[in-house]
Amino acid sequence: MSSPTEGFVLTSSPHTQSRASIKGIMYVVIITLLPAVVMSVLFFGARVILLYVVGIAGALVTEAVTRLVRKRSWTTIYDGSAAITGLLLVMTLPPTVSPVLVFLGAAVGIFIGKEVFGGLGQNVFNPALVGRAFLSAAYPVQLTTWAAPNRVFSFLPQSVDATTGATPLASAKFEQTFESLLNLLFGQTGGSIGETTAIFLILGGLFLIAVRIVKWELVLSYLGTVFLLGALFHLINPAAYPSGLFQLFSGGLMLGAFYMASDMVTSPFTGTGSAIFGVGAGVLVVVIRLFGGFPEGVMYSILLMNAVTPIINRSITNRVFGQRNEEKEAT
Amino acid sequence: MRLKTFKNGVHPGHNKSRTASSAIVDIPLSDTIVLPLSQHLGKPATPLKNKGDEVSVGELVCEAAGLISANIHSPVAGKIKRIIQKPLPGGRMADHMEITVDHEKTAEHRWEKHDVDVASLDRDAVVKTLAAAGIVGMGGATFPTHVKFSPPSTAKIDVLVVNGAECEPYLTCDHRLMLEKTREIMDTLTILQHAYNFSQIIIGIENNKPDAILAFEAVLQDYGHLPASVEPLQVKYPQGAEKMLIHATTGRVVPAGALPLEVGVIVSNVATLYAIYEAFYLDKPLIDRVLTVTGSGISEAKNVRTVVGTPFDTVAEFCGGVDERTNKVVVGGPMMGVAVPTLDYSVAKGTSGMVFLTGIDIPDESPCIKCGKCVEVCPMNLMPLRLAAYAKAGKFADAKALHLADCFECGSCAFGCPAKIQLVAWIRYAKNYVRVKGI
Repeated sequence: MSSPTEGFVLTSSPHTQSRASIKGIMYVVIITLLPAVVMSVLFFGARVILLYVVGIAGALVTEAVTRLVRKRSWTTIYDGSAAITGLLLVMTLPPTVSPVLVFLGAAVGIFIGKEVFGGLGQNVFNPALVGRAFLSAAYPVQLTTWAAPNRVFSFLPQSVDATTGATPLASAKFEQTFESLLNLLFGQTGGSIGETTAIFLILGGLFLIAVRIVKWELVLSYLGTVFLLGALFHLINPAAYPSGLFQLFSGGLMLGAFYMASDMVTSPFTGTGSAIFGVGAGVLVVVIRLFGGFPEGVMYSILLMNAVTPIINRSITNRVFGQRNEEKEAT
Repeated sequence: MRLKTFKNGVHPGHNKSRTASSAIVDIPLSDTIVLPLSQHLGKPATPLKNKGDEVSVGELVCEAAGLISANIHSPVAGKIKRIIQKPLPGGRMADHMEITVDHEKTAEHRWEKHDVDVASLDRDAVVKTLAAAGIVGMGGATFPTHVKFSPPSTAKIDVLVVNGAECEPYLTCDHRLMLEKTREIMDTLTILQHAYNFSQIIIGIENNKPDAILAFEAVLQDYGHLPASVEPLQVKYPQGAEKMLIHATTGRVVPAGALPLEVGVIVSNVATLYAIYEAFYLDKPLIDRVLTVTGSGISEAKNVRTVVGTPFDTVAEFCGGVDERTNKVVVGGPMMGVAVPTLDYSVAKGTSGMVFLTGIDIPDESPCIKCGKCVEVCPMNLMPLRLAAYAKAGKFADAKALHLADCFECGSCAFGCPAKIQLVAWIRYAKNYVRVKGI
């Protein structure tokens, strides 16, 4: 009687699915970044709007072109993932950087960091950080030319480097002068475009944890390791090493922890694996900041842990419900 | 108080309100019934009758073939038109017995209720009755019930868990049975208690059925001789899965690859318990069942009782017909049920529902972004994304080493997957491969 001539749809169970989608996840991430983006425009001027536009356009165009060359559908650029790459790349660059470099960085990030591996889901390294790593190797001077922020919050103390705009981490490393925590929290300091305003990054990141887009295990272990290890060195020599809290709120740590290390594709998919990733990245950050050649180590800490993520994913296996003890099995 | 539950799981929309308060109604007999001869887990039953033979109501027409198998009885009086091969929902071919119904003779038959001397019933008597009546697990797994209730003498069974979770969205047939047949289910528990001497009987019901919880609580005092209690459970899928239900109600963990009896527990679905009641008090074999007919594609959603072998067309017609927008029909619930291409099938002992869905499209699969959602929701704590990746790559031995066999295909992973990857289909593919090739 009522069966349609071509038959009903035949698919495997389950026949109902949640509304979660990759697109949804990506756009939620972008939305939670917007407060920090707005703050970056206030601190460093309308010019950074241009940089954001160029960064996102660079990422989208590169993805579309690469996919067309590979004879794949180019409409993946609407999934939000390339847009995040462009946005995050700009947030990690100094405010003085030229739009040409931004475009180049986005192109390299998407091409070398993502499409070469096969596109979304296949890449080993965070594409935005691949772009940044390329730029800082190829254009070291432009990538370390900082600018002093506008005085947006008049209640905050004068920044220690208000004139040169050197980053708090550089001042701490090379001059042993430490920026006030309040300035670090609100971001009225020198630094990369979108990394300075710790408080808005934390709020956005906590929201992502609440909606389970970001794994708390990773963020907690990453930040916790940086704080504890930083505090330990501060205890050993307070004159040379900044406090644990300074380590926590300076540089790109908050942006890195909530928005880059936590990138689903390039971080472990289990809670335990995420915790290992976080501890490893945290140790690397402190070691690079205190003993390396660079004042900041967030980028390399994440890229290095990205490299070991496939191994972590393979070696951390869940204990299955009702799994017997290995010893018991052997006897 | 925090309600008991298990770890992980998902929260699909309930979609139960359309039928939750509609009382069970009988579907009038169709002129022909098509009785599947493979309605249970295990070996298909052996036909005892041939083309042209007359059968009477409740007559044994197929005999259990071997240890794990179940008897099949004719639900009607009539004449066997033919025995044909037809696909079951899911595609497996099986023999079906087509019976032309003699309405007059069928109507003459009455199932008379009589008293049961519970004190005279021991385990052997119970198992014999269950086997004779062809009772199987009616929650959907259709495992022969007499086998479940014949634990080896070494197993010490001390808890009976009554499964009234009904965690599948849309389905309300168990809910209605719990409301309408509360005392009958309790009478069955009395029989089982006498034969098995449980130290605890726990009736597990999800908290979205407060009236069913109340119904049992109200009659508990009349059954003071039973060590029975009602346990309201958190509403979460798959709460009604055997291992999850045992963990929630008793705190016991069934070892991977083992049966509930290893931890001293037997789980029985409320519909099965009601069938056991009929077997003892009416001498009636399992020849009919209650199922939920629902979904946006059916005009009048209902909980119906109908004989096994009723063609799906008859069921759909009784419920006002199928909307032309219907483009998917699921036998069972939407999480674990089976989609069918046409309505050319018939109701079996395990058919808990028919869900007519409209506007279903097949979502495009995106690449896996390794978000770990499937790992987070898996009630067995498996890693579905890795199992599916191994299945796609043909690495079946690797999948097996990652506890492939522990997946019971509840569908939580594929439900939660933002990339819409058909994780269950891939895992099932790997399981079949491992089973067939003996990896």
